[in-house]
Amino acid sequence: MDSGIMKLHKVNFYYGQCRALTNISMKFVKNKVTALIGPSGCGKSTLLRLLNRMNDLISGTRVEGEILFEDKNIYAPDIDPVEIRRKIGMVFQKPNPFPKTIYNNISYGPKLTGLGTGNMDALVEQSLKQAVLWDEVKDILNKSAMNLSGGQQQRLCIARALAMKPDILLMDEPTSALDPISTAKIEELIEELKKNYTIIIVTHNMQQAARISDETAFFYIGNLVEYNKTDKIFTNPDIKQTEDYITGRFG
Amino acid sequence: MSRHIKEIIIKYIFFLFSLVSIVVLGLIVFSLFREGLPIFGKVSVRDFIFGMEWYPTYDPPSFGIFPLIIGSLIVTFMATIIAVPLGVLAAIYISEIAPASIKEILKSVIELLAGLPSVVLGFFGMVIIAPWLQETFDLPTGLNIINASVILAMMAIPTISSISEDALYSVPREFKEASYALGATKFETIIQVIIPSAMSGISTAVMLGMARVIGETMVVLMVAGGAAAIPESIFDSVRPMPASIAAEMGEAPFRSAHYQSLFAIGIVLFFLTLTFNLIADYVSHKFRQVGSGTL
Repeated sequence: MDSGIMKLHKVNFYYGQCRALTNISMKFVKNKVTALIGPSGCGKSTLLRLLNRMNDLISGTRVEGEILFEDKNIYAPDIDPVEIRRKIGMVFQKPNPFPKTIYNNISYGPKLTGLGTGNMDALVEQSLKQAVLWDEVKDILNKSAMNLSGGQQQRLCIARALAMKPDILLMDEPTSALDPISTAKIEELIEELKKNYTIIIVTHNMQQAARISDETAFFYIGNLVEYNKTDKIFTNPDIKQTEDYITGRFG
Repeated sequence: MSRHIKEIIIKYIFFLFSLVSIVVLGLIVFSLFREGLPIFGKVSVRDFIFGMEWYPTYDPPSFGIFPLIIGSLIVTFMATIIAVPLGVLAAIYISEIAPASIKEILKSVIELLAGLPSVVLGFFGMVIIAPWLQETFDLPTGLNIINASVILAMMAIPTISSISEDALYSVPREFKEASYALGATKFETIIQVIIPSAMSGISTAVMLGMARVIGETMVVLMVAGGAAAIPESIFDSVRPMPASIAAEMGEAPFRSAHYQSLFAIGIVLFFLTLTFNLIADYVSHKFRQVGSGTL
C-alpha cells in the first residue's frame, strides 16, 4: 500500500456544528478502484466531495486534519481549489451534461485550461472513445447532449471528466439513476479505466462494489469502520458491523 | 349526491371569476376599437401612422403620429440600453455572488424601487435631473429623451432584475457543480454555464421590461418634454404616444376626430405592447430549459 496517491490523516469534517466525518485516516491506492460503502448518511459522499474540495461550495463547512495529494495538503491555504479540481475529476449521481452540444460538453474543461489547444477534435474523440461513447455519438457531435439517453449522458459526463486528463476520478453513485444495461456498460468502463486512472467510487450497490472494486472502505455514521481488500471485506470481514451490513442485516 | 352538486357549483363559481378578467379585457379592447377605428374614415392608416405632423386641433387638422411613435420607440430603446446591463448584472450579483445578508437587502431595495409611484419618479426627473441636464449641457430644456430614458430605465430595472434573477436561480445546481468539478472558476461558470442556461428567462425579462416602459405614461408626460417632432439628438424633447393621450384626452371634444385619433393611438400602443409580450412568450418557450440530465 505504499503507492498511496492520496492520503487522509485524521480528517474531521463539520457541516456547521454537526460533525459528519470523525477522525478518518486512510490512503487510496494508485490505479485501483476503491469503493466507499455504507448506509445512507454515513458520510461516504461527503468524504468523496472532500477529495476535490467540492464541499467548499457549501457554506458553513469546516475541515480538520490533512488530505495529502502529491504530498501536499490540498486544504493548505496556498492551494487553489480550482487546480485541485482540474487534477481530480468527478462524476455525479445524476447525469449532468451541460445544455450544450456533445462536442462542447467535452471541450468545456480543456478550453478553460488551454489543454488540447489546436487539437481539440482529437481530444474530444479520444475522450469519447475512452468512455466507449464515440461510436454512438460520432455523427451527432453538434447535437445537444440533452437528447442522449440517461446512460449515454452519464458516459458523456465520464468522457468530459477524462478530457481533463485527471489523475483521479471520483464517482458519486454513478449508476444509481441508470437502468441495468447502462449500469453494466459503466461498470465495464470502470474496469477499463483503472489501467490509467485511480478511481474512487461511492456506491449503495453491494454487488457493484464487490464486482468492480479492488479495495473497499465501509463507513458508518461518519466513521471508517473497516478498510481492506474487497475480497477480504466481502468474504471474511474483521468487524461484525461490516459483516452485518454486507449480509444485509442492517442499512 | 348533494356533495357532488356542490363540487359542480364551486367549479362554475371559480370559472366565472376567472372569466371576469377575460370579459373585462374584451370589453376594453372592444371600446378601444369602437372609439378609435372611425378616425380611419377621415385619415388613411398610412397617413395616420407615417404622417409627420401631429396638429389635431388645427384647421384643417393633421393626424400624423409618426413623431409620437418615434418618440415612444426612442425612449424605450434608450431606457432598455440603460436598464438591461444594470438589471441583468444586478440579478447575477444577487443570485450568484452576493452573500446572503446583502442579497436580502438588495432584493428588498429593488422591490421598493418597483413600488415607487411613477409620478414620484417623474417628479424626481423634473426637479433634479432636468435642471442638472440643462445646466451641465447648456440646453434649452432638461425635459428630453435622455431624462425620460433614465427615469424609465429606473422603472424597468426591477422587472428585468427580478425576472432574470428567477431565471438564474432556477439553473440546476448540477450544472454549476459539473462546471466547478471540471476546474472552472466562479466567473467562468457564471459566463459559460449559468448565463447561457438562463438566457431564455433573461430575454423574457428584457421584453417584459420593454413592454412596461413603452406603455408608461406619467413619466413621459412629465419629463419627455412634449415636442411632437422627430428628434435629432438625445437632448431633444419628444412626445411619446401615452403622453399624447394623457395630455390631450381632457381637451378633446367627445367623439371628435381628435378624440378618435387618441383612441387610435391607443390601438397602436396596444399592438406594440402585445408584440413585446408575444415575443417574450415566444422566446421563453423556444429556448426553454430542457431539464437537467434525467433518464
